[in-house]
Amino acid sequence: MKRLLSMATLGDKILFISLFIATLISFLFVKDLFPAGGLVKVTVAGNTAYLLSIEENRTVKVTGPIGDNVIEIKNGRVHIKEASCPNKLCVYQGWIDRGSIICLPNRFVVSVGGFNQRQSSSGPYDAITK
Amino acid sequence: MRLVYCLLFAIYCSLLLSGCSVEKEKTYRQTEIAMDTDVTVTVVSPSERKAKDAVEAAFAEIKRLDKLLNYFSQDSELSAINRASGVNPVKVSPETLEVIKKAVDVARLTGGAFEPTIGPVMKLWNFELKTIPDRKEIKNALALVDYRKVKINESTSEIFLEKRGMELDLGGIAKGYAADRALEAIKAKGIKAALIAIAGDIKGFGLNHDGIPWKVGLQNPRPAKNSVGSQMPGDREMLTPPSAGDIMASFYLKDRAVSTSGDYQRFFIKDKERYHHILNPETGQPAKGLISVTVIASDGYMADAISTGVLVLGPERGMKLLESLGLGGIMVDSNNKISMTGDIKGEVKIEKTP
Repeated sequence: MKRLLSMATLGDKILFISLFIATLISFLFVKDLFPAGGLVKVTVAGNTAYLLSIEENRTVKVTGPIGDNVIEIKNGRVHIKEASCPNKLCVYQGWIDRGSIICLPNRFVVSVGGFNQRQSSSGPYDAITK
Repeated sequence: MRLVYCLLFAIYCSLLLSGCSVEKEKTYRQTEIAMDTDVTVTVVSPSERKAKDAVEAAFAEIKRLDKLLNYFSQDSELSAINRASGVNPVKVSPETLEVIKKAVDVARLTGGAFEPTIGPVMKLWNFELKTIPDRKEIKNALALVDYRKVKINESTSEIFLEKRGMELDLGGIAKGYAADRALEAIKAKGIKAALIAIAGDIKGFGLNHDGIPWKVGLQNPRPAKNSVGSQMPGDREMLTPPSAGDIMASFYLKDRAVSTSGDYQRFFIKDKERYHHILNPETGQPAKGLISVTVIASDGYMADAISTGVLVLGPERGMKLLESLGLGGIMVDSNNKISMTGDIKGEVKIEKTP
């Protein structure tokens, strides 16, 4: 350490200090750089069909046991654009940026993120008894 | 100066080392389809790996139980029992024996209002095709409904249905029981707080990420006309989740279970009459008098089965039963009037009346 310091030029010291400051700052902002969501997982009948980034706008068609459903990712949110089931509950759910959308008849689940989800699509409730 | 550098270096290293393992409680939530419904498991833990491990253990337990108890699957132990009705006893695994024993116990507690052998009558109703069975058919099937004819032999681990054609259907208790078991699986992984929701059968444990008990919303049995539950597609581009505007009441759940039975879960309307899936075992017709019953109990299986039993018993007898068992309950009668047991009145917040 002592030898290292005596060999270090002023530039090295500046570099060291600025690296140190950069590290500190990155700790403060790491949460913003990597938001809690990030990953959209689509499972059909329990098998993962797609892993998509929530940051990338795109539309995918997913085929389930009773037909096709269209999933759209846009501006960091996801929704079911079209569904082949009779009641369209998953379409009604609208856009989510965390939690899950479920289509029981077509046996598929779209979920966003994993950890640090403070809320699900059920809004201020941890769960709904229905 | 050197001291300052050393100090800085030490801080820097300790930051780098601790960076990814900050001991902070995180919430991990996963939703899957299991037991023919939506299941959401939520776990609070400082360790991501531990949380994932616990969530997976919970789902594995739920799926394992479903394999044993699924009425609609030919490969389940329950189907094997039903196929052998009136013929021979069937050897089953300890969990199957336990849940059937609990089902018969609750049937006895409710004087048969909760009836796990309703299967033969249930089969006559088809809520998708909107068929109303004729009275003679119902009468014949009712002759096969009697929980006292379920013979449980604990020493040999065998179940026998005494009459040919009898059928056990654990649809009114299996989800609550599975929530109990799944929570045990999570606790065994050393987790201190979790919430399991198998559709509307919920069991909570410990405190949520905010350090308070889990907040549970109760579905409104008759949501307003303009809410999602009653909307047609294409009305609006942006819709709130179906649950948001349709919550009748809310309360906090700590180390307890809650279940709801209602006439709005599976039903059809014919000639302005609503036919729903909770049948009165005395008549074989949909139960009348109450449209929604929520029961809070320490065990999931109890909340699940008693909520069905109370819906069948109706407002007065249902309330008496809850009070005699010391269970908390919220009920809505056919005039949309809400009533509650005295012990939970202070805990329940009414959000919106039906």
